[in-house]
Amino acid sequence: MEMKIGQKHLFGILYVCLAVSIVAGLLLHSHEQAHAAFVWQEIPVFSAIYGFIGCILIIVVSKALGHHWLQKEEDYYEKH
Amino acid sequence: MIEWLHPGLVFIFGALLIPVLKGKWKKTYLLLLPIVALIDLLFISEGVFWRIPFLEYELIFGRVDRLSLVFAYVFVIAAFCMTLYALHVKEDGQHVAAFLYVGSTLGVVFAGDLFTLYLFWEIMAWSSLFLIWYRKTKASSEAGFRYIMVHLFGGICLLAGIILYVQNTGSTAFNVFDWGLGGGYLASYFILVGFLINAAVPPLHAWLSDAYPEATVTGAVFLTAFTTKSAIYVLIRGFPGVELLIWLGAVMAIYGVIFAVLATDARRLLAYSIISQGGYMVAGVGIGIWMAINGSIAHALSCVLYMALLFMGAGAVLEMTGRSKFAELGGLYRYMPITFGLYMIGAFSISGFPLFSGFVSKTMVIGSTALVHQPIVWLLLEGAAIGTFLVAGLKLPYLTWFAKKEPVVEAKEPPKNMLAAMGITAFLCVFIGVYPQALYRVLPNPVDYAPYTAGHLVGMSQLLLFTFVGFWLLRRKLHGERTITLDTDWFYRIAGKRFIWFCEKPLLNFADSIDKTLLGIADSFVWFSKNPTVASRIMVLSAFSVVARPFNPGYMRYERDLEELRRLYPEEMQRLAIGTGVLLVLMFFSLYLLIYLTYGVLWT
Repeated sequence: MEMKIGQKHLFGILYVCLAVSIVAGLLLHSHEQAHAAFVWQEIPVFSAIYGFIGCILIIVVSKALGHHWLQKEEDYYEKH
Repeated sequence: MIEWLHPGLVFIFGALLIPVLKGKWKKTYLLLLPIVALIDLLFISEGVFWRIPFLEYELIFGRVDRLSLVFAYVFVIAAFCMTLYALHVKEDGQHVAAFLYVGSTLGVVFAGDLFTLYLFWEIMAWSSLFLIWYRKTKASSEAGFRYIMVHLFGGICLLAGIILYVQNTGSTAFNVFDWGLGGGYLASYFILVGFLINAAVPPLHAWLSDAYPEATVTGAVFLTAFTTKSAIYVLIRGFPGVELLIWLGAVMAIYGVIFAVLATDARRLLAYSIISQGGYMVAGVGIGIWMAINGSIAHALSCVLYMALLFMGAGAVLEMTGRSKFAELGGLYRYMPITFGLYMIGAFSISGFPLFSGFVSKTMVIGSTALVHQPIVWLLLEGAAIGTFLVAGLKLPYLTWFAKKEPVVEAKEPPKNMLAAMGITAFLCVFIGVYPQALYRVLPNPVDYAPYTAGHLVGMSQLLLFTFVGFWLLRRKLHGERTITLDTDWFYRIAGKRFIWFCEKPLLNFADSIDKTLLGIADSFVWFSKNPTVASRIMVLSAFSVVARPFNPGYMRYERDLEELRRLYPEEMQRLAIGTGVLLVLMFFSLYLLIYLTYGVLWT
């Protein structure tokens, strides 16, 4: 029960942080355009998008690689 | 200028006294040695010291400049924290191995010529091996064996390169090596392979993820820092600006992350994180501009500290519960909250959260890719930053301290010395993050880089916060499985086994048959020479009996004679009269005379 309340608080803080980082990113983006070294840095909140999609991609691609190819039973090297 | 004491030798010779001391004295002594070495370092002036003539060359044990000093500082400071962490260990051998390891790494750092480098390189490999073997499990002894085989191979590559280099140039100086395509650069290629093996660059990295998780709890903490980071140091010395390294580094960073996602053991996950972090440094060396080299060094230094802290955290869990597999962990927050908190400081540092050490160094390397316009490298390194937070900052702590409602096993916080060591290391991680000038000031090149700009802060925060969102949605996919992940060590574990089978079965049979044939021939010679006359009669008779069989019904007669002869063989030798012998000798001599006299007349 105690955990549950703690978790709720933590998620409240998380949502606030997410919102603040997005707003700050948008504000910053409208102010400085000249700094972009790469094309994608012109996209507003690119880091947030990249973080989210990158994370999902890393998990999905790694797990696919693992399940179809690389992961073996624990005694693989004893048996082969 | 003081004729100074080599700090590496403080450790190496200091280690010899450890077995003599007892109890409190020993503990004090263990902690005192790194402090003595640090004080020694603080008083060293730059220059070249300790030249010893060796054959027609010169060994240089002390090349002291800003680059070697900065690595030495952090190695000695880390050695102090690690020794504190290992203070409760009763076996002297572990302490001796650790100190030899630290000392030889300092030897590598201050080596001014290639022979000295090679000497300490090998001591490093051997002493670190014992930090693995002291775990005394079957897995650790096997992994240690593979570990030393790979490092011996690397050492041989390095030695081959050094010999070629000395032959080509006549000098043993350890400076920037020539680089290009073609056979003329063979020496550089060999040396680079030797360096890359220690830096754990894929596909030459599998020794690390294979052996480090099998090391002792405290040994693994030492292992995290020295081999890989001293390899970065020698890469900076020898191969700055080699473009190949940019790509190797970028791939390495992502490679480590992917395998860390698949890892089912806490310390194996962290071992893959070491590889991934090394990717930033290798890429930075490859980029080669000042900012990138500075970034590599800065990242190596902060990595030494936070990687040690992470291994201390995972090690503390292993020490107290005996478990490191995710499938057997979970819910430990109730028993080990302090360990969790200190671990998380390391996790925030490796992930590059603002105010933690990774932030002020990682962004330097990533930023330098923009200066040399490498968009793909930028994307890969930024992607690796996401993955790093995902594995070391989320997956590991989630599966260890949470994930299950009830703790899987009873546990308590680790001994005070371990907590204190983690505390000091954590403090240093935060200190560098909050006050990066302390780090930047000791870097060899002047630093013109501000980590805390609004753009960096917002970008990094967004990246990491939204990584957390992705993790939370897919967290069930990351639960510990009972599997292992194949890596490039497959090639020497499976192919090696097959090779040994090939040697033992087909190859040995073949060798055996050759052996038997040859021995048979020799035997028949022996048999023949016992009594050549009778033996040749036997041979003629047996030939007759075979030939005569189809034609002559009386061939039985031959058979009977043959049997009789064979039974009696070798019989009594028939003796020749002395005269016959003399006659034969004379005939031989006259033949020789004839040839001698006619040589050059009748034939040339």
